[in-house]
Amino acid sequence: MNAHTLPPPLLELQAVCHTYPDGSPGLSDCSLTLRRGRRYALLGANGAGKTTLLQHLNGLLRPNAGTLRYNGQTFDYSRNGLTTLRSRVGLVFQNPERQLFSAQVEEDVSFGPLNLGLGPDEVRQRVAAALDAVGLRDHARRAVHQLSFGQKKRVCIAGVLAMQPELLLLDEPMAGLDAPIQNELATLLDGLAARGVTVLLSTHDIDFAWRWADDIHVMAAGRCITSGPAHELAAHSEVLAAAGQRPPLALTLHKELVARGVLPHGPAPRSVDAVLDALRALPAFESPGDITA
Amino acid sequence: MLIESTAYASRWRDVAPSAKALFALGGICAAWLARSPAMLAALTAILMLAALLPARVPARTYIKVALPPLGFLLLSCLTMLTAPDANGNWHWTSAMLPTITHTALRSLAMLAALLGLVLTTPLPDLLTVLRRLHTPELLLDLMILSYRMQFVLQQAWTESHTAQSARLGYRGWRQAWRSTGLLAGQMAVQVWQRAAALQSAADARAYQGTLRFLPATHPQAGRHLSYAAVAATLMVALALGDR
Repeated sequence: MNAHTLPPPLLELQAVCHTYPDGSPGLSDCSLTLRRGRRYALLGANGAGKTTLLQHLNGLLRPNAGTLRYNGQTFDYSRNGLTTLRSRVGLVFQNPERQLFSAQVEEDVSFGPLNLGLGPDEVRQRVAAALDAVGLRDHARRAVHQLSFGQKKRVCIAGVLAMQPELLLLDEPMAGLDAPIQNELATLLDGLAARGVTVLLSTHDIDFAWRWADDIHVMAAGRCITSGPAHELAAHSEVLAAAGQRPPLALTLHKELVARGVLPHGPAPRSVDAVLDALRALPAFESPGDITA
Repeated sequence: MLIESTAYASRWRDVAPSAKALFALGGICAAWLARSPAMLAALTAILMLAALLPARVPARTYIKVALPPLGFLLLSCLTMLTAPDANGNWHWTSAMLPTITHTALRSLAMLAALLGLVLTTPLPDLLTVLRRLHTPELLLDLMILSYRMQFVLQQAWTESHTAQSARLGYRGWRQAWRSTGLLAGQMAVQVWQRAAALQSAADARAYQGTLRFLPATHPQAGRHLSYAAVAATLMVALALGDR
């Protein structure tokens, strides 16, 4: 992408360092930029600092050194400043059990918008819209403890969507979900991105990151070691190896098939299914060993 | 747990909680005012049948939930049946029998009124009523958190207990004692960690110091309330007529 066509940065981290009170390292000299309206994947192994980074972006953690900027303004950690920041940057935690604290689905979703000081009618409307978006409208009056893990996770997302953030952060949103629900969630996130919401999700699944994201930030040992458009990044296997990742399966498969002359040269497909579709589009040939009835 | 799941399944689940509270309050007032055992028995029957028939609380569940307080009531009545004589020896006496009958029946009627409320109203709905009655926010916040943490901790306990059993933690009484001790110690850490996690989850959603939730709406609350008012007035009128 040309530098002139890039949208202005929405959120920037510059040389951010964080060490936890018990001395364990969180972030070390971490810098990255998020731009409006794009879909980002934060890729890294367990313990690479993904969660620590997300908690910085929402103002839950403060850096020991370095600066964070939102819309060009340095983060304001006063009470009002944090409320403003958190109304724009929503964070969905990895474990729904640790995020949901009210007894009923509808109540929990209403928690954020009420904290923003909105009136009851506006809140009610937002809660309904958020539950619609995650497909849980019919469960609005159920008790949280009666829901399945996947449903709880969706309630968490609705709770943040109801605050209508400009930037949505999701910590390992796909962990523990089955494939159909993962697909539903990816569709939901695509819909949000299409409406102009910037989405950043952390994951250690490079195949998903490659399939879904516009841009990937790769993290290792508390640092963002590289950032860029997914299609450029996935080819740099040495960088990925440094972050403990193999190249995406679809890319490797496509490369091998091109090398053997099965598939023509061209841009690599984003998923294994897309590679299979390309193979199925080729004319089938009969091998001499085939048994015909 | 049983009370909670019954309340969610009850046919009166969507009846305005304020109406159910008013009905229960009417029952309690009537039981307080009524004098004759027959009237108290009738009130008990009305309140029980209201929970069992229109609200469809299963009879088996009703009995199960009522048993512990009934046992307590029985024990209290039995103690009232004994009294010391002039020499200080304890013996059975029927002198108190009318008082006992009256007290027991009144307690039964009040129990039926309360059971009718809690077996048809999930706790979140009860909290809504308490909020409308201007119960202090701090108390309500505590109730909400205790209610939710009860399920979170129960799950944590069950999961850890299962994990211990899978590694033979409960094969004998010695291991069972040790495992239970470890589990209890572990729960203290869990409580601490989960409390910290809930705090940051609340902060992430712009927590302002009080837990605020949107109360559920009951479009037919007016109609339900008028039915409840009529029923409550009838019960109180019956009780007053009995004086």
